[in-house]
Amino acid sequence: MQFLSKSLVRASRRSLGLGGAIFCAVLATATESQADEHLFGWVRGAETLPGGHADAYQFFTLRTGKAAGRYEAWDFDTEVEYGLSDKFQLGVSVEQHYFDIDNVEELDNQNRYQFGGVELSAKYRFLSPFKDKIGLALRLEVAYLAQDDVAGIEQEEIDVAPELVLHKNFLDDTLITHFNIGGKFAWGKKPAEEYDRELTIQGGLGVAYRFAPNWFIGLESHWRSEFPKADFHEHSVIFAGPSLHYGAEKWWATLSYGYQVYGQGIDEPRNGKTYAEEARNEVRLKVGFNF
Amino acid sequence: MNSWIKILLPPAAIIGPAVAGYATTYLSVEQAQRAIFPGASFTAATVKLTAEQKKAIETASGVRQRSDEVKAWRVSGGGWLIVDEVIGKHEYITFAVGLTANGAVRGVEIMDYRESYGGEVRDPKWRAQFTGKTKAAPLKLDDDIKNISGATLSSRHIAEGVRRLLAIHAVALQ
Repeated sequence: MQFLSKSLVRASRRSLGLGGAIFCAVLATATESQADEHLFGWVRGAETLPGGHADAYQFFTLRTGKAAGRYEAWDFDTEVEYGLSDKFQLGVSVEQHYFDIDNVEELDNQNRYQFGGVELSAKYRFLSPFKDKIGLALRLEVAYLAQDDVAGIEQEEIDVAPELVLHKNFLDDTLITHFNIGGKFAWGKKPAEEYDRELTIQGGLGVAYRFAPNWFIGLESHWRSEFPKADFHEHSVIFAGPSLHYGAEKWWATLSYGYQVYGQGIDEPRNGKTYAEEARNEVRLKVGFNF
Repeated sequence: MNSWIKILLPPAAIIGPAVAGYATTYLSVEQAQRAIFPGASFTAATVKLTAEQKKAIETASGVRQRSDEVKAWRVSGGGWLIVDEVIGKHEYITFAVGLTANGAVRGVEIMDYRESYGGEVRDPKWRAQFTGKTKAAPLKLDDDIKNISGATLSSRHIAEGVRRLLAIHAVALQ
């Protein structure tokens, strides 16, 4: 835990400033309502906020482990969403990072905070998982990212990421499955990466079971494949691991772990792992409030 | 250590009260009885369902019968009052249904509702949709029962719960 404490303490001094301020403001105004609750760390469901209601999340993500050296990357995402109607919601988020990197191949040693960027999102629900045979939603993200999330290297990335969200419940809504599939079209990745444009195909699958009132335990997997210039395969990675979710009347929290079960990158050893842009472990804590 | 305290304080402040628990009980059994059957007297008549009865209830209602036991009261002058639970988004929703001697819904009362949104299920207008329904009624959202935005799961489960209790009446209380 020592590696966690050192980097988290440093991170707390700087990177939690903006996100923390927003987060505390949200806490102060949190009242009642609940929707678009995240049962998983990475995979999303098809629910949307009721019209006229808002929610807010704080994500804490730790990515750690490379082929050699010490690599700890913290992501702090602070997100606010608002339901324009019962089926359509908009969101805005601020992304921040903290990097503690030492002796990792091709990355500069560093111990620093980096602002990530801002992201806008829209989600429209076509079918309800509670009324229709299957829940279906379309989500669109548009982001401007001033630093990359590998090592905080400068870039001018603008990306557009459409995503299809499927959501099916079983056993009186106690067994819940989510499936996401989408793409990301990015421009302006230089000099963080060698090529300016990149296409990402990404998705995820999650299964959760309500084992007691308020509590869900689950398994989830998320994956992505990246193609610079939409031309050649750069790397693919699959993460999988458990998730635990608690939903209360006014708030919810989700803790998820993802282990890189498979990875393959160009110019990397063919040993079932990729570390050029990915880490071995991903841990994510989400806390959400509805108001 | 100070930084750790700063980091952990917000989640601790949130998690503490939640772990301590929160429940809203709006009506006791006696209050629900009086609300649906004012002035009546009640005789407890808890029923233990057989496997065959559970299967018949599930076939008739299309809803899973989780419990083997039905908490029922015989009402003076005819009729039944049943207290049951359905699954809410996070916790169980406890509700009472009063049935006339002919097996029609006389009233529905929400006794415990612990969900963060959708308190409208306690709205008398929403509950009044159930009055007069019999086992022949669809009791389906967006059909004969209106949905409550943001609480679709709770609305649907309550409608299904009433449908199941009407099937219980037909199978085990007549």
